[in-house]
Amino acid sequence: MPGWLIDFLWVVVKVTLVIAFVGVNFIFMVWLERKLSAKMQARIGPNRVGPHGSLQLIADALKLFSKEDIKPAMADPKVWALAPVVMFAPALLVFYVLPVGPNAVIGTDLNVGLLYLAAVSSFTLVGIFMAGWGSNSKYSLLGAMRAGAALMAYEIPLVLSILTVAMLAGTLSVQGIVQAQVDRGYYFVFPGIVAFIIYFICVMAELGRGPFDLVEAEHELVMGYQTEYSGMRWGIMLMAEYTNQFTAAAIAAMLFLGGWDGPFLPGWLWLVIKAYALVMVMMWVRWTLPRVRIDQLLDLSWKFLLPVSLLNLVVVAIFLV
Amino acid sequence: MGVLNDVARAAKSIVKGHMVTLREIFKPPMTIRYPDEKPEQPKGSRGMPVLKVNAETGELNCTACGLCARSCPPGCIEVIEETDANGKRMRRPLAYNLDMGKCMVCNLCIEACPFDALEMAANFEISVYDPENLVFNKDQLATIWKNYDAVRIAGGEKL
Repeated sequence: MPGWLIDFLWVVVKVTLVIAFVGVNFIFMVWLERKLSAKMQARIGPNRVGPHGSLQLIADALKLFSKEDIKPAMADPKVWALAPVVMFAPALLVFYVLPVGPNAVIGTDLNVGLLYLAAVSSFTLVGIFMAGWGSNSKYSLLGAMRAGAALMAYEIPLVLSILTVAMLAGTLSVQGIVQAQVDRGYYFVFPGIVAFIIYFICVMAELGRGPFDLVEAEHELVMGYQTEYSGMRWGIMLMAEYTNQFTAAAIAAMLFLGGWDGPFLPGWLWLVIKAYALVMVMMWVRWTLPRVRIDQLLDLSWKFLLPVSLLNLVVVAIFLV
Repeated sequence: MGVLNDVARAAKSIVKGHMVTLREIFKPPMTIRYPDEKPEQPKGSRGMPVLKVNAETGELNCTACGLCARSCPPGCIEVIEETDANGKRMRRPLAYNLDMGKCMVCNLCIEACPFDALEMAANFEISVYDPENLVFNKDQLATIWKNYDAVRIAGGEKL
C-alpha cells in the first residue's frame, strides 16, 4: 500500500474512534447528569429503559429522529440549518490535540496547542450566533447576545489562567505541559490552584452551564438560541454542548491534573477518569447553585475574575523569575 | 476589606450549599415507584365500603335491613332482601349492589350499620374501562374484603 493510503486509513480510523467516543460519551453524560440530579433531589431518575435507565437516551434519540423537521418560515434557511453543524464541529476539533499517553496524541502535538484550544473552543460562539440570528426570533437573538457577552467576558480570565500553566510548564504544547508535570512529579493544580478555580468558573460560564446557564434561561428566554430548533437539529446542539463539557473537563485535567499520568491503568483511561471526575463536579455545581443574573455574570468576570487572574499571573511570573 | 469579606461570605455559602447536595446524594430517594411498590396507606384511609364475612359461618354479616341504603347520601347502595317460597323474609341479601361511580366514600353506611356488616377497605385501585363495571355485587364486595385484609381500616375498629 502506498504511504499516503496508510496515512489516510489511519485518519479514518482515528476520526471514527473519536466520533464513536463522542456518541458514547453523550449517552453516558446525559444519563449521569439525570441520575446525579435525581439523587440530589431525592428522586430516582430514569429507570425504565435498560438497566438503571442507562439506555434512556437511545429511546430519546429515536424519538428525536422520528420528529417532523419544523423550520420557521421567517428564518434564514442556510444560516439556520448550518448552525448546529458549526456548533458541533469545534467540539470535535478539540480532540485533535488531546494527548492520550506518553508520545501519543490523537491528532498532532501542535507546538501552539494551547492557542489552538482557546481558538477552537471559542469558535462555538459563531454557531450560537448563527442560530440566534438565523432563527429570526427575539428569544433566540437575546440568548445569542447573552452568549456573546458571556464569552467575551470570560474568555480573557480563561486565557490568562491557561497562560499561568503555560508559564509554569514553559511550553504551549499540550503534550509538553503534561510531560512537564510528569517530569517534575507534581501537578500544576498545586502551584496554580487560583488559576484552576478561575479556569473552572470561566469554562462553566462559557459552556452556559451551572449557575451561568442564562443563555437558555427558560423563564426569560424560552430556550435561548435553541428556541426554534426541534428534532435531531436540537439533538446535535445538545450533543455539542455535552461534548464541549467533556472536552473542557479533559483540558482542565490535562493542564492542571496531569492528564494521562497515573499508575497501573493505561493513559487514555486516566484522562477519561479525571475528565469525568471534573464533569461530575460541574454537574454538582449546576444542580446546587441558582442561576445568576446577566449583570451579576458580567460583574463577576470583569470586576473580580479578571483582576484576580491578572494578579495571579503576575505573582506566578515573579515566583518563576 | 469589603471585597475580601464578600468573597469569604460567598465562598462559605457556596460550600454550604454544595455540602447539602452532596449529603442528599447518599440518602435514599423519596420516590415510591407506584405500580411496582404500593404506598403505605395511613390508618383510617378510605378506599371503598365492602361487606364483611362472618369468620365462623362463612356467610355475610349483612341482614339486608337497608339502613345503609337509607343513610347513603348519593344513593349508591341497592339492597334486595331474599325471601323464601312463602314470602317469608330470610334476613340476608339476595342482591347487594354498590355503585362506586356514585359513592363519595363518606363512611355513613358503615356508621349506620347495626350489624357490623360493612367495613371501609383501603383498596383504591378500582379503575375500570366501562363505568358499568363500577357496580360491585355482594360477592365482589366480600372478595375485596377478604383480599384486602391487610390494609383494612384500623384493623376492624370503627372510626
